[in-house]
Amino acid sequence: MDIDLSAADLAFRDDVRDFLRTNAYKPGADYGEWRFGWFEKAKAKGGWDVPKWPKAFGGPGWTPTQHYIWEQETAIAMLPFDMPFGVGMLAPILMGYGSKEQQDRFLPDIRARKVNWCQGYSEPGAGSDLAALKTKAELSADGKTYTVNGTKIWTTAAHMADWIFCLTRTEDTGKRQEGITFLLFPMKQPGIEVKPIITLGGSHTVNMVHINDVKVPVENRIGEEGKGWTYAKGLLQHERTGLAGVSRSIVALESLKKQARSVKRGNGSLMDEPAFRAKVAALEVDLMALEFTELRSLAAASAGGALGPESSIMKLKGTEIQQRIAKLTVEAGGIYSAGWGHPVGPKFARNGMASYLSSRAYTIYGGASEVQKDVIAKNVLGIKSGKK
Amino acid sequence: MNFDLSSEQQLLRDSVERFVADNYSLEARVKVTDAEPGFSKTHWKSFADLGWLALPFAEADGGFGGGPIETMLLMEAFGKGLVVEPYLASIVLGGGALRRGASKAVKDAILPGVIDGTKQLAFGYAEEQARFDLEDVITTARPEANGFLLNGTKSVVQNAATADYIVISARTSGGQVDRNGISLFLIDAKADGVERDNYPTVDGLRASEVKLTNVRVDRDRLIGEVGNGFAILEAVANDAILALSAEAVGAMEVLYKDTVEYTTQRQQFGHALSEFQVLQHRMVEMFMEYEQCKSLLFRATLEAAQGTHTAQRTIHALKHLVGKAGTFIGENAVQLHGGMGMTEELRIGHYFKRLLVIDAQFGNSDHHLQKFAA
Repeated sequence: MDIDLSAADLAFRDDVRDFLRTNAYKPGADYGEWRFGWFEKAKAKGGWDVPKWPKAFGGPGWTPTQHYIWEQETAIAMLPFDMPFGVGMLAPILMGYGSKEQQDRFLPDIRARKVNWCQGYSEPGAGSDLAALKTKAELSADGKTYTVNGTKIWTTAAHMADWIFCLTRTEDTGKRQEGITFLLFPMKQPGIEVKPIITLGGSHTVNMVHINDVKVPVENRIGEEGKGWTYAKGLLQHERTGLAGVSRSIVALESLKKQARSVKRGNGSLMDEPAFRAKVAALEVDLMALEFTELRSLAAASAGGALGPESSIMKLKGTEIQQRIAKLTVEAGGIYSAGWGHPVGPKFARNGMASYLSSRAYTIYGGASEVQKDVIAKNVLGIKSGKK
Repeated sequence: MNFDLSSEQQLLRDSVERFVADNYSLEARVKVTDAEPGFSKTHWKSFADLGWLALPFAEADGGFGGGPIETMLLMEAFGKGLVVEPYLASIVLGGGALRRGASKAVKDAILPGVIDGTKQLAFGYAEEQARFDLEDVITTARPEANGFLLNGTKSVVQNAATADYIVISARTSGGQVDRNGISLFLIDAKADGVERDNYPTVDGLRASEVKLTNVRVDRDRLIGEVGNGFAILEAVANDAILALSAEAVGAMEVLYKDTVEYTTQRQQFGHALSEFQVLQHRMVEMFMEYEQCKSLLFRATLEAAQGTHTAQRTIHALKHLVGKAGTFIGENAVQLHGGMGMTEELRIGHYFKRLLVIDAQFGNSDHHLQKFAA
């Protein structure tokens, strides 16, 4: 056992740092232009624009330790988030279950971030219980076209999306998980109506999407009809392992401490107040533990084994920690956390409340914490399900 | 970066796990703890034969030169079996002080007996007024011809009743809470002026209040330098925290797994208890706390083994989390076992009591959170 990085890993870290520094955003530059340029340069480094893609599809083929270093360094450099829907979520499904034609058709634009995707999963009647979804897809008699009708909800970035990957129901007899079909179709077409949903933080990221008689050619179906649930489940795992955000939380905790130290109390600062200080300390301890839980799970993955039981807790604990950091930022802002969109009080307090309110979604999306616990009870503790 | 064990470490873990599985039933444990001296001399001899008593000592001192990782493997397995033999007191504490600070003459005289199991050690580091502060010492050591004269009382000294020698922290100079001025001495447990008030602790182990009245110690029984004992004391306390935390992680694993098993067997309202979601979620929380403690145990142990500059802080973090999680897992194991969890008949309660004592030793959860935040 040891925690030192090898000479090769250290060299890799220097390379990553150097890349992130050299290609950092310069204030005043055109953001969109910088972002596209960044991805091109990252691609030229050997697939750094798609760190998690396998080598066969042009990814870098990093070791788990290299992935960990990348996460750490991009968090420290505060690299803007990449929209996860294309590169992170649909691409693995296309690689695993799509046809060669579909891979050739969709992957290059996903990689170039030319086409924005959104995820059509949840419905008004199917949230954590996703298998209850009802959006209907009917195949024409000639077997060439699906007609899709239904409503999707909580669809992140649907208002900016060019395409949607969508779970639809093609069969409603038999087991609910069977009869679900995975379709891809464009968003900018008649029959699709996107209605914004404004969330507690005042922002517009999620939407309701109405789908009326939208025609989808059968070559836009991933895999077999009725097998969509299996494909989506694989994808949910990709989604959940990416949600813990440990490296980002480590950086966020450091700024929280800095902010709290800037809040003067007598001769000291808010960090000298025992109650606040104890909460920050307890949070940091949990985060230090979670960082090693992630390393243990990476170590298991690099040994080629299945993910150990420890990996199952990442999403639950990681999102809880993100929420606690957001909450303490609100506490640090004091009365100015009540402000809304007006530039008064400490700078960090201006966005604190909105971030905190938005963070309440972390334990709801990607499988609510309660659903995660059901999954751990069943898959890790081996307890027979049978909810009472 | 890796979490793989070397082949020697794997052998050690396998042998201690096998020994514990073969020898530590609840019945056997209770039989041993109900009688004096509160542990099995046969097992202690086996520990010596298996080389475990030699583990942390340098090869030059007749040991195997093991470090924090080896001790962690041993103690985690001990925790699973709820082992009562005084490994912590004799090897980690007493032995830890001697291997760090004793003169060659003292090592040559004492360590062979400790390693072959014929002699045992204890460490009197705590005092009633000190609560968890190692530097709060009012026991005095006054220089006199050829040595020192010790006066004071050391609190809750584990294994003092059986120990042949006791390491004592005493003040040779400075004020009550000064780090400077603390010196360590090795006294003969049966020396004139040593009075031991022996009692069992709630976890079935043994401790004593050790009263020292004009106890004479030769100058060559000084461990480390005069007035500079605190560094050794602190290092030994860190070893102890790592060892106790490993033991606690082993105990937590048994508690959460036993709870899953019990609730799966036990039928109420026409269903296995484990089918009730409210209980499932509680058990998932117990499991998560266990995994988090295990992760932090790895982190702190590896940092200590590699001597990182953050090791001390990570050790505070570990003891904080182990205290918090140990109490949480223990209380909920009892709760989910219902009335049966309250009985001495099941092993649950015995593990719970051990975790409570571990929280109270070398600073509890709150104490270490404060140190961590300082």
